[in-house]
Amino acid sequence: MISDPAFAADATVTVADVSVWFGAKVALSELSCSFGPGVTGLLGPNGAGKTTLMRAMTGLIGVNQGTVRIEDRDPRRDRAVHDRMALVAEDEAVPPSLTARQFVRYVADLRRVTDRDAPDNALRTVAMLDEAGRRVDTFSKGMRQRTKIAAALVTNPHVLVLDEPLNGADPVQRLRLIELFKQLGAQGRTVIVSSHVLNEVERLAERVIVLVHGRLAAAGGHHAIRDAMNDRPRHVLIRSDDTRRLAAALITLESVEGVTFDSARDGLVIQTLHARELATALPRLARDTPARLLEVRALDDSLESLFRELVG
Amino acid sequence: MNALPPATTGRPRPRFLAILVYTLQSCIPPRRWFALLLPCIGALFFGLLAHAVNGSPGHAFANVAAEGIFALMLPIAALVIGDAVLGAEVRAGTFQFTWLSPAPTWQIVLGRWLGGSIIALVTIVPATALAAVVAGDAADADAAFVAAAFASVAYVAIFIAIGSMTRRTAVWSLAFVFLVERLLGAALTGIAQLSPTWEGRAIFISYIDNPPSRLVRAGIPHGAGAVVRLVIVTVVAMALANWRMRHMRLSGASD
Repeated sequence: MISDPAFAADATVTVADVSVWFGAKVALSELSCSFGPGVTGLLGPNGAGKTTLMRAMTGLIGVNQGTVRIEDRDPRRDRAVHDRMALVAEDEAVPPSLTARQFVRYVADLRRVTDRDAPDNALRTVAMLDEAGRRVDTFSKGMRQRTKIAAALVTNPHVLVLDEPLNGADPVQRLRLIELFKQLGAQGRTVIVSSHVLNEVERLAERVIVLVHGRLAAAGGHHAIRDAMNDRPRHVLIRSDDTRRLAAALITLESVEGVTFDSARDGLVIQTLHARELATALPRLARDTPARLLEVRALDDSLESLFRELVG
Repeated sequence: MNALPPATTGRPRPRFLAILVYTLQSCIPPRRWFALLLPCIGALFFGLLAHAVNGSPGHAFANVAAEGIFALMLPIAALVIGDAVLGAEVRAGTFQFTWLSPAPTWQIVLGRWLGGSIIALVTIVPATALAAVVAGDAADADAAFVAAAFASVAYVAIFIAIGSMTRRTAVWSLAFVFLVERLLGAALTGIAQLSPTWEGRAIFISYIDNPPSRLVRAGIPHGAGAVVRLVIVTVVAMALANWRMRHMRLSGASD
């Protein structure tokens, strides 16, 4: 049986036929997908509906149509859901006049966290313990984000929704946060991360949901998404010591749709709809043709290029 | 970074207390305190102004308190507080830290209202009583205090309810004070009966000796009746805020 990649096998968060609109603007349109344990990346250009989806999943906004369920409960109606879930929102808003410790303590108190050391432990987890006594509204953007992540972690959530959590973080902190999210995912928590830094999502998430114009554009692992898009041409760069002879040989292959010379890369760019067949045919071609292959590289296998293609 | 170190258990702070402490610590930043100080100074100014009014100090203060303090300074101070404890947080996007918790909405509303009321009870309410002293009518300071206390906590509840219904809390709150209370309330006793300004005035007037007859308004409750009316207004406003809070759309600061 082939499972739909938009749906996780052991889903904790289910989005069924969800539409959300603000006046005349449709933010989400008949979206169905689900999220399970592990890290799932949520990708899409600005205005794709990522933040709206995350707000709908956490119950901050109601949906106009469809249903959202967190562990089979409605986040808008059942406030007990918030014991099991936390959101780190994209915006920089933090409560004024509170120190980082007071802020995290407040969030912990609302969830009746019994561990007295939990606020400090959460701040230590995001390397903010040294700044725990400073007012949150004096922090940089990255520090605010990390403090909000600490506030989310202090509740020990089973479902963690992170909207652009790496915004403002320096490169070292980014690596640490990515490692942290992966650890949380590996512990069996459902971690949903949106980001516009695509290579980070590639490193972070085992599974990706791509939204475009409020609709589901693709889902699955990013390689799987690529393979599924077999109706779109893929581009492969081939460099050789005899470009002209290689081009003549390549054009005879059925799997090749077109061949162009890329002077910047000093090689041939092959357009194909059948990448696997091309991969099988290339070694044979190299054996039969006197031209020596110097480099064979897919030009559009990264999430960045996939994303660009989906967005058009 | 290692995820979630081991726990050492203890008793958590009750949710309601956490909300109350948060309201007092975070909802009134320094700029708000300054904005709150202005109507308090204004109340004292009206106390001074009473010296320029003809008649006994009691009559003079009753007149400036009714027209200046209860009708202007007290609603403005309560608006600054009521907006701060909910509306401003919703607009800033920080209210979600409270909303996204298992705390029942009634606890959130009650905690915010109590926090706002405490702030009113240490600012505009004593300023109103002090204005009586400044006016040379110290005997009526207790009546001013009681009336201002009931009116301000009712106002805070109303402005919290407005903050739960719209992001333009200040505009709608001002419309409530100046269009509904001042304009319609002056003409219609049915509106005045639900107005903290009019009922606050009625409490004050009924507890002072020999009030100016033009300030005694027929058709609305006075004394204990006015207190009961303001308590009812407060409870209804909070019930409305509680209902609205369950259906709020928190779309973030940037939207």
